[in-house]
Amino acid sequence: MGLFTSRKTVFVDSDILVIGGGFGGCGAAYESRYWGRDLKVVVVEKANIERSGAVAQGLYAINCYMGMRWDENQPEDHVRYARNDLMGLVREDLGYDIARHVDSSVHMFEEWGLPIMKNEETGRYLREGKWQIMIHGESYKPIIAEAARKAATEVYNRIMVTHLLMDKTRPNRVAGAVGFSVRDGNFYVFRAKAVIVAAGGASHIFKPHSVGEGMGRTWYAPWSSASAYALPIQVGAKMTQMENRIVLTRFKDGYGPVGAYFLHLKTYTENAYGDDYEATWYDSIKELVGDYVDHQPVPTCLRNHAFLQEIKAGRGPIRMVTKEAFADPHKETVGWENFLGMTIGQAVVWASQNIDPKETNPELIMSEPYVMGSHATCSGAWASGPEDYAPADYQWGYNRMMTVEGLFGAGDTIGGTAHKFSSGSFTEGRIAGKSAVKYVSDMGHGAPQVDEAEYEALKKAVYQPMETYDVGRNEIVAGTVSPSYLLPIQGLQRLEKIMDEYVGGTSTNYLTNEPMLTRGMELLGMLKEDINHLGADSLHQLQRAWELHHRVLASESVARHTMFREETRWPGYYYRADHPQLDDDNWHCFTLSRRDPGTGEWAMEKAPVHHIID
Amino acid sequence: MPTFVYMTRCDGCGQCVDICPSDIMHIDPIYRRAYNIEPNMCWECYACVKACPQHAIDVRGYADFAPLGHSVRVRREEEKGTVSWKIKFRDGREKNFVSPIRTTPWGSIKSPADYDRPSQDALKAQELSHEPEKLHIDALPALPPQ
Amino acid sequence: MLSSSPFAEVSAFISPTVMQVYIVAMILMVAGGTLFDMVHKKSATYFFRAWRKSTGNATTPVGGGEMASLAIRTVAVEILTSAEFCKVRRRIAHLLTFYGFLAYVIATVIMVFAYPTPATPAPAILPVLWNIGALMVLAGGYWFWFFLRVDVAWEGNSPFRLVRADLFVVSLLVSVTLGLVWEVVQATTDGTIWTNVFLALYILSTTVLFASVPFSKFSHMFYKPAAAFQKRVEEANGSSNLPAPAETPRGKV
Repeated sequence: MGLFTSRKTVFVDSDILVIGGGFGGCGAAYESRYWGRDLKVVVVEKANIERSGAVAQGLYAINCYMGMRWDENQPEDHVRYARNDLMGLVREDLGYDIARHVDSSVHMFEEWGLPIMKNEETGRYLREGKWQIMIHGESYKPIIAEAARKAATEVYNRIMVTHLLMDKTRPNRVAGAVGFSVRDGNFYVFRAKAVIVAAGGASHIFKPHSVGEGMGRTWYAPWSSASAYALPIQVGAKMTQMENRIVLTRFKDGYGPVGAYFLHLKTYTENAYGDDYEATWYDSIKELVGDYVDHQPVPTCLRNHAFLQEIKAGRGPIRMVTKEAFADPHKETVGWENFLGMTIGQAVVWASQNIDPKETNPELIMSEPYVMGSHATCSGAWASGPEDYAPADYQWGYNRMMTVEGLFGAGDTIGGTAHKFSSGSFTEGRIAGKSAVKYVSDMGHGAPQVDEAEYEALKKAVYQPMETYDVGRNEIVAGTVSPSYLLPIQGLQRLEKIMDEYVGGTSTNYLTNEPMLTRGMELLGMLKEDINHLGADSLHQLQRAWELHHRVLASESVARHTMFREETRWPGYYYRADHPQLDDDNWHCFTLSRRDPGTGEWAMEKAPVHHIID
Repeated sequence: MPTFVYMTRCDGCGQCVDICPSDIMHIDPIYRRAYNIEPNMCWECYACVKACPQHAIDVRGYADFAPLGHSVRVRREEEKGTVSWKIKFRDGREKNFVSPIRTTPWGSIKSPADYDRPSQDALKAQELSHEPEKLHIDALPALPPQ
Repeated sequence: MLSSSPFAEVSAFISPTVMQVYIVAMILMVAGGTLFDMVHKKSATYFFRAWRKSTGNATTPVGGGEMASLAIRTVAVEILTSAEFCKVRRRIAHLLTFYGFLAYVIATVIMVFAYPTPATPAPAILPVLWNIGALMVLAGGYWFWFFLRVDVAWEGNSPFRLVRADLFVVSLLVSVTLGLVWEVVQATTDGTIWTNVFLALYILSTTVLFASVPFSKFSHMFYKPAAAFQKRVEEANGSSNLPAPAETPRGKV
């Protein structure tokens, strides 16, 4: 902010506020408009919804599609699949709900113009695997964004939401949110009757393998700054399974996807000596997790575990055998286009290192950990389930409402719902959107009221990093080293190192224990204090500062959950060295946490896993 | 640096600034042209590369692991509904790919508000918009109450 | 005011020769400044190296005749219609400033060289062109300055924020504005000090405009046409790394 600019406060009123314009948010906007014709639906996004979120570069598969119209799958099958992959612990009610609706989302995508590959013989969508269909999805996000723009009353791009606002007339009810424009620096106060959080999960909380420019090539988008978690945590919403971080085995350095390779191209892995290694580890895995190792398909974490053990045994690098498959020109095209429409960086890596899968079997690697809710993982907010069948203790209000009244979630935000991916996240957005409309239409009088004192205090906090920089800058001649403020990147690198070394990152081969977690939380505590002294010299840096705030809060949640679950439920994602085995007797349950907004104290508890599907 | 901007091609129009999901394409104060201010937060998503009307933006793979001399360039033609890629290896090998990106005209999605108003009963039910028709089965599946 | 050369009255105390030498000096500063910039930055070396590389990578070499035709097209399209600006408003603003400046400069040169004194009155068309040109520069320039600059319109910076990229536009606008102000003051007051004050400021700002060529974007008036020509050649000779425009989508969906 310069000499001639003035910072305005802009008030935006709506019935439904959708925070985050990714797949979850766009689904929420669409459905909110369908059911709430006269409602004001506002979408707010820190980037530009045209390409924001995890699907910025496109996708080449939709990984959650039942195909009920052709009797290919039923929703309960998907629940069994997700439950199996997450070692028994999923919210079956939420998962069934997404699975029963997702087909209509996909059919709408096709109607809107998404090119879905067809099986030439049957005329059906071309299956990549049991749950996956293949698409030409370079413009997947722009197509969905068009639908959202048509639905929303207003879309606010380049506004970063930093905090939710609570109702001053009633405890534990949300009333809106605050944020700032990354372009003109104005302060925004969103006043809403219902809020749907559909923001990004957490990348960049663990130190990535590449630490230079290569930091940017994370598997999950670098702009997923854990706002999906921090916003609810700040206002006391209960979170679940935050310990369940995901690690992915992907092509080296570029993290290019392997799904189409395994399923469509029928490639397979081998160690450095040309041997198939997974069977080697069967017995030792059985000792850790018992019968779970016999489930088909083998759970993702267990395949990771075998991979990791093989590397530790010194028989890496592990490679994907592609030479045979790529001899077929059609498969070669699919293999490359898979990257170009989804992870272009992998094509760049191969071009730069002269890797042609026809001639070389490319290397695989296990990634650094991520925390998100829509993939082979299910961290996130604890949400109320579908009214028609959810068990009583999974239902306290409207579908997809968190434990804070009027606060809904979709996509990576919501916990317990693994394997929803893009189509499932959009579908969950639709579910939350309809729910929010019901909630608003049931509300009648007595809409929530924001508290002026609260947002004025937040306004000061939001811009504090710029004030800190402006004043503190006077102490030093030049450069990045200051004794009194931290640049956001410095805070981020410290966070990533703490999480990496103490909470199960790559440098410990994903291992942690109670003493390590204790030490990690001590260091996180000091970092929490230090981030009150971030220095931002521009609005861009201010965005980075708030992304760091959100990441630190989410990381604390991850550390506490990891401490609380005294077992190793998902070897291959992370290990509790002091509790190395799966313990169904004591830990066949969800972990729940709640941070008290007033005191900052955390309370942990267990919640039962209801198996409503056999 | 993941994305970079060719001096001779950029006319400083700002499309890349507008589209970048990471907010890292900004305007250089000396030439008033675009550049990547934070390559370590660049995902190589190519949103800016595709959005640039002058094809002024290109990518050089991350220096951590990508040797020099490669090229992966794209031409996204929205009206035609195609995206074309040209990959050049460091050793000169070349691969070309063309894919469809959309089967319908841009702007043609029907607004949800243009459908018939749903009833109050429908609001209370579990069916989402366009269900069960767009499920292409008779009825929305459900589980018995628990 | 519009009917006579504003420079004619000046010849009473500044000889036409001095004015003409000044104009020649400004033109030399543009050429010299541009040359200095190119040598200092080694940009010409880079440009010709890139040219040779492109020719080396050519799949369909471009002959002399085609080269000439590409050059003519560059002049006709990129230069004369400011076609390299992909945003319509920016293009219009540049056309206004470009043609306005041309008219203004050409009129200045003709008036100062061919009709320097009141004894040799300039044909009415010349001061009219001078004023219209100046007004076009100001219209396009101020519009650009306040509304179209990408760092303001797309990045959200204040229009009053000054960076080095603004040096050319600011010095151009200040110079031309002062020129018009001086002309009006000279025509409406009778021999007051203010006429000479504004003349002095006008000359000062004009000198800054031309002297700052090595530091500003003035020299891009030469670079951009060269780049536009090089782009046409690169597209014609097949040395570009860009994929060709698609004919049809690959196969069926």
